[in-house]
Order: sequence, then structure tokens, then C-alpha cells
Amino acid sequence: MSTIAASAGKARGNIQGIKGMLAVRTIGILILTLAAGCAGVEKAPPAPPSKGQSAAKAAPPSVKAPVKVPEGPVPVAKKLEPPLDVEALKTRLRDTHAIGVFTKLALKNQMDDLLEQFRAHYQSGQKTGVASLRQPYDMLVLKVLSLVQDGDPSLARTISGSREAIWAILADPEKFNSVT
Amino acid sequence: MITPARASALILPLAALFSGPSPAAEDAALLKDLTSVIMLLGMPCGQVVSAKRRADNDYIALCKDGNRYQVFVNAEGRAVAQKK
Repeated sequence: MSTIAASAGKARGNIQGIKGMLAVRTIGILILTLAAGCAGVEKAPPAPPSKGQSAAKAAPPSVKAPVKVPEGPVPVAKKLEPPLDVEALKTRLRDTHAIGVFTKLALKNQMDDLLEQFRAHYQSGQKTGVASLRQPYDMLVLKVLSLVQDGDPSLARTISGSREAIWAILADPEKFNSVT
Repeated sequence: MITPARASALILPLAALFSGPSPAAEDAALLKDLTSVIMLLGMPCGQVVSAKRRADNDYIALCKDGNRYQVFVNAEGRAVAQKK
């Protein structure tokens, strides 16, 4: 009976020893795993030695956004017609159905009046520029645009796009004399 | 088989379609034209609501605000709006 008790106690001691070894192994594996995980994390390299404040304020590296390339053909409506000159403008206005006869005649009168002012300015031999005529010119262009934009939007776009080209002709005495 | 009645039923609407603007449309265009020219000449008007023809290129225009103008082409070929 005592032999059985002694062997049972021995076996219990062996089991406890095995349990202890397993615990030690488990802890060891955990430590190894932790160490391996930490080994993958590298410290960020130290910043290069700064030369004054500008280096300290250096911007973070920029990430370039991908350039978007428009796909498909450009819409035809957005294509601009070549700029008009004075005569072409008169012809387009004469041919449009957006405005009536009286309006066309009144516009022609006002355009002729403005051209007469330019002519008088150049013939007077004044050395000052024609900047004083820019405002009446702009006013006339705005009137024309407001009249044709509903009935002939294409012509309105062309006139709007030709505004500076026409002014360049009017403001240059040589070009002005060659076209009038 | 196209009968005369069917032919006329086809032709009449087409003739009406292609015969040009109706008098009402012409009137609307004229009123718009008179409104624009009075505005261009810097006269107060708002909108021309009726017009009476006096001669070729000569109209009396009645404006929404009550003003009346004679709109015509003068001897120098200028469009003129004279208050009446």
C-alpha cells in the first residue's frame, strides 16, 4: 500500500515538472516572437543636420497627384472661332437673324460713330493714346452681346472672343487706317 | 392609292409649315426690334407692347411704361426714336 502511495506521489511530481517545463517553453516562445516582431521595426533615420532655419522648415516630401488626362474628343461647342476683324464683325451682324432691321441700323450707326471718333483722334495728331475710347468701345461691345446672345449665341461667343483682337486693330493707327 | 383628299391633307399642313412666319411671329419680331432699337438709343421704354405702321420703316411704338415713340429711318440713314 505504501509502495502504491509512493509511486503515485512520484508520478504527481513528474507531471508538475512537465507542466513547469511547458510553461517555461511557452514563455520562451513568446519572448522570441516579440523579439522577432520588434526586429522588423526600424527607427526612422535621423534628420540631416540642419543648416539654419530654412532647413528646419523644410517641407515634407510632396506626393505628386496623378495628372488627369481628359478622355475622349474635345466637345465641338468649346472650339473658338478665329477672332473677327471690324469688317467681318459688320458682316456677321448684317447676316444674323437674331436682331431686326432697325436694331442693325442703329448698331451700324453707333459703330460708325465710334470709328469716326478713332479717325478724328488719329487725324488730330494727338500723341496721347486711345485709352479714352476704350470705355465707349466696351459699352458698344456689351450692347451687341446683350442683343445677340439669345438669338445667336455662336456669334456672341465669337464677338466676345474677338474683343481684344478688334481693340488691337482700333488702337493701332496703322492697322486702323489699313482696315477703314 | 392616294386620293385627292389625302393629297390635300398632306400638302396643306406642309404648305402652312413652309410658307414663312405667321403674322403673329412677324409682329413679335417687330416689337422686339423696336424695343431693342429704343433701348440702344438710350430712351426709356421697358418693352414695346404695340406698334402702328405709318410708312416704310416708320412706326409708332407704344411702350409698357406708357411712352410713345416714332421710330423711323431719317434722310441720313440713321435709326431714330422720337418721343411723341
